[in-house]
Amino acid sequence: MRLTFSAMHRNAQEGIESASTRLMDLQRQVSTGKRVELPSDDPSAILGSIGEHNETAAIDQYARATDTVGSRLAVVDTVLSDLIVQIERAQVSAASARGSSKTQVQREAAAVELEAIRDTIFSDITSSFNGTYLFSGTNSTVPPYSRGPGGVISAYAGSATEMFVDVDQHRAVKMAFDGRQLTQGSDPQDIFVEFESLIAAVRAGDDAGIDAGMEALGRMFDRVSTAQGRVGADLRTIDEQKLRLDELRRASARRISALEDTNMAEAITEMAQADAAYRAALGAASTVTRLSLMDYLR
Amino acid sequence: MSSLLSSLSAATRALDAQWFGLDVTGQNIANVNTPGYSRRVIDFAEVPPESNRSAGRGVDVVGVRAVRDQLIERRLRQELPAERREAAVADALSVVEVALGGPGESIDAAMNRYFDAFASLAQSPSSSVARQEVLLQGESVAAAFRDMAERLALSQRETDGQVRSLAAEVNDLASQIAEINDSIQRISDPGSRLHLQDQQGELVRRLSKIIDVDALPREDGGIDVTIGNGRALVIGETAYPVSVSQINGTTHVFSGTVDITSEIDGGTLGGVIHTRDVLLPAYVADLDALAYEFATQVNALHAAGVGADGGTGRPFFAFVPAIGGPAGAAAAITVDAAIAADVDLIAAAGAGGPVGDNTTARDISGLRHARVFGGTATLADAWGELVYRVGRDAQVARDEQTSRRDIVTQVEQLRDQVSGISLDEEAMQLMRFQRAYEANARFFRAIDMTIDTLMQTLAR
Repeated sequence: MRLTFSAMHRNAQEGIESASTRLMDLQRQVSTGKRVELPSDDPSAILGSIGEHNETAAIDQYARATDTVGSRLAVVDTVLSDLIVQIERAQVSAASARGSSKTQVQREAAAVELEAIRDTIFSDITSSFNGTYLFSGTNSTVPPYSRGPGGVISAYAGSATEMFVDVDQHRAVKMAFDGRQLTQGSDPQDIFVEFESLIAAVRAGDDAGIDAGMEALGRMFDRVSTAQGRVGADLRTIDEQKLRLDELRRASARRISALEDTNMAEAITEMAQADAAYRAALGAASTVTRLSLMDYLR
Repeated sequence: MSSLLSSLSAATRALDAQWFGLDVTGQNIANVNTPGYSRRVIDFAEVPPESNRSAGRGVDVVGVRAVRDQLIERRLRQELPAERREAAVADALSVVEVALGGPGESIDAAMNRYFDAFASLAQSPSSSVARQEVLLQGESVAAAFRDMAERLALSQRETDGQVRSLAAEVNDLASQIAEINDSIQRISDPGSRLHLQDQQGELVRRLSKIIDVDALPREDGGIDVTIGNGRALVIGETAYPVSVSQINGTTHVFSGTVDITSEIDGGTLGGVIHTRDVLLPAYVADLDALAYEFATQVNALHAAGVGADGGTGRPFFAFVPAIGGPAGAAAAITVDAAIAADVDLIAAAGAGGPVGDNTTARDISGLRHARVFGGTATLADAWGELVYRVGRDAQVARDEQTSRRDIVTQVEQLRDQVSGISLDEEAMQLMRFQRAYEANARFFRAIDMTIDTLMQTLAR
C-alpha cells in the first residue's frame, strides 16, 4: 500500500483534530459542570430538563403562595383566638350583671366593660394584613364594618364571596373570609346590634334581654370556634404542603442534575485520558512526518 | 566509426531521458502539496537497432502521464456532496440551537414568569403593584416570542443569502471549467495538457462540494458538467451559468428559465436549501403555533373575566399586524394596547364575580398545567418539543456528516494511493535517475575516449 505525503499528513491532522475535539468537550464539561450545552448534545435530556424546569417553576410559585397564605392564616388564627377570648369575657360580664341583687353601679360597670369588649371585637373584625381586610371576603379593600355618626357601627360592607389561593395544582386554601358569617351567621342581626341590645338590657336590669344577648354571644362563639377549627386545619395543610413542596423541589433538582450535570469524577478521568490521547496524537504526527528517505540521500 | 557515433548518440539520448526522469521526479516533489495534482510517471521505450550489427539505439521518452483512476475520482465526486450537505445543515442548525437558549432560560421561563405574575395577582387582586407585574411579564413573554421569531427569520435570511453567494460560486467554477475545456481541446499532445486536466479535476471536486454534479469526460479531454436533473452547466467550452431570482421572498435557482431549486439536493447548496425551505419553516410553524395557542388561551380566559374597572370582554394579547391564524403569530404577538395603557383593565375577577374576586387570575395562572395541545401537551411541553426537534435534527446532521466524512476520507485515501505523491518513492526515483544519469555519463565518456583514441590513431 502506498503511503503518500498528503495521506500521512491528513491522517495525522485528523487524529489530532479528533483528539483535541474530545479533549475540548471534556474540558468544557469539567469547567462548566454541564454535560449538555446544546440541544443536539442530548435532545432527550434537554426535553426532560425543560419539563423539570417548568415543574420547578410551578413548585416555587406554590411555595411562595403557601408562605403568603400561611402568614395570613396565622394572623386570622390569632384574631379568631382573641375573638373567642372577648366573647368569653363578654359572657362573664353579662352574667355578672344578671340578677335582681345587682346595683345600678354594678350594672353600669358591666355595661361599660361590654362596650369596651364590643369595641375590641369591632377592632378584631376589621383587622387587616398587608393592606387588605381579613374579613371582608373578596371586597378586601373595604373594611367589613365601620363607625358612623355617633359611633354607630354600620352594617356589613364586605363580600359574601370568599377568596381562595392555589397552593398546589389541585389544592386551594381560603385566605379571605366572609366576616358576616362570623358576626351574624343565620341570626337575624349581627353581633354588634346584639351588643347594643345586651348593653341596654344590662343597664336596665333586663334579665331576659341579658339572656338573649348571652345566647347571641354563645352562637357567635360557636361560629368563631368552627371557623378557627377550619383555619387550624388549613394551617396544618399549609405546613404539610411546605414540606411536600420542599421534597418535590429537591426531587426535581436531583432529576435536573441527572439530566444536565456532568459526572465530575467520570469527566475528569476521561479528560485525563483524552489529554494523553491528544499528546499521543501530536507525538505520533511528529514522529511519522519526520521520517523520510530524503534525509538519507547523499 | 559510424557505430561509435551511433553509440554516442544513444548515450546522449539516454542522458536526456534520465534527466527527463529527474525533471518529472522534481515536478512531483514540487507539487506534493498542490491540490488535485496527480503524480507524473515517465514512460521509456527502447529504441530498436537499425541492423544486426547494433545492440540498439538507446532509450526514448514515450511520454509523461498522470496516474489517475477515473472510477475513484467519480466516487469522490459522488460522496463529497452528501458530506457537504450534512455539514451545511449542521452548521446552520448550530446557530439555531444557540438562539433557542438553555432549559428554564428561554420562552419557557418567560411563560412561567407570566403565570407567576397572575398567581401573585390572585393573592392580591386589588394590588396595583401586582397588576404592573402582570403587564411587565406580559410584555416580557411577548418580546421573548418576537425575539425568537426574529432569530429564526434571521437564520432564514442568512441561509437565503448563502444560496445567492453559492450560486455565484457555482457560476465562477463553471466558467473556469469551460475555459480549461477550451484550452485542453486546443492542445493535441496529451502529455502537454496534464496540468490542465489536474486543474479541471480539482475544479470539479470543488464544484461537487457545493452542488451535486455529473461530470462526463469528452473525447477531446474536456469534461461536460450537469447539475440537478441533467441540467447543463458546462458543455465543452461553453458555460451555462445558473441565475437566481426572488420568489415569495426566497431566492430560487434557475437553469435557463427552469426553476431547479427543488432539484438541488446535495452539496453545501443542497444543505442550505433544505435548511431554508424545510427545517427552518417547520421550526417557525411550531413557534407560531405555540405563540398563537398561548395568546388564544390567555385571551379566552381574560375576556371572560372582569377588570378592576368592572369592564369585561377584553383580550390581554393582540397581534400586530393582524393575523388570520397561527402563521406569523410569534412575530406579531404583543400586549393589547388598552391593557398596556391601563393596568386596571387587567381581569383578575371571574365573570359575574364581585370586586376583589380572583377567579380569572387563578385560571390564567393555571394555564401552566393545562394540556391545551391535543389534550395531551402543555404549553411548556410544546416548547420542549420544538427544542427537541431542533436538537435531534442537528444531532442527526452531525452524525451523518461524521459517517459521510469517514467515507470521503476512505475514498481520498484510495485516490492518494493511486495519484498521491510519496516522498520516499520520489526519493528512490531521484536516486534511480541520478545513478542512471551517472552511468550513462560514464558510458558517454567511454565512447568519447574511444573516439579520441581512434582519431589519434588515424592522425598518426
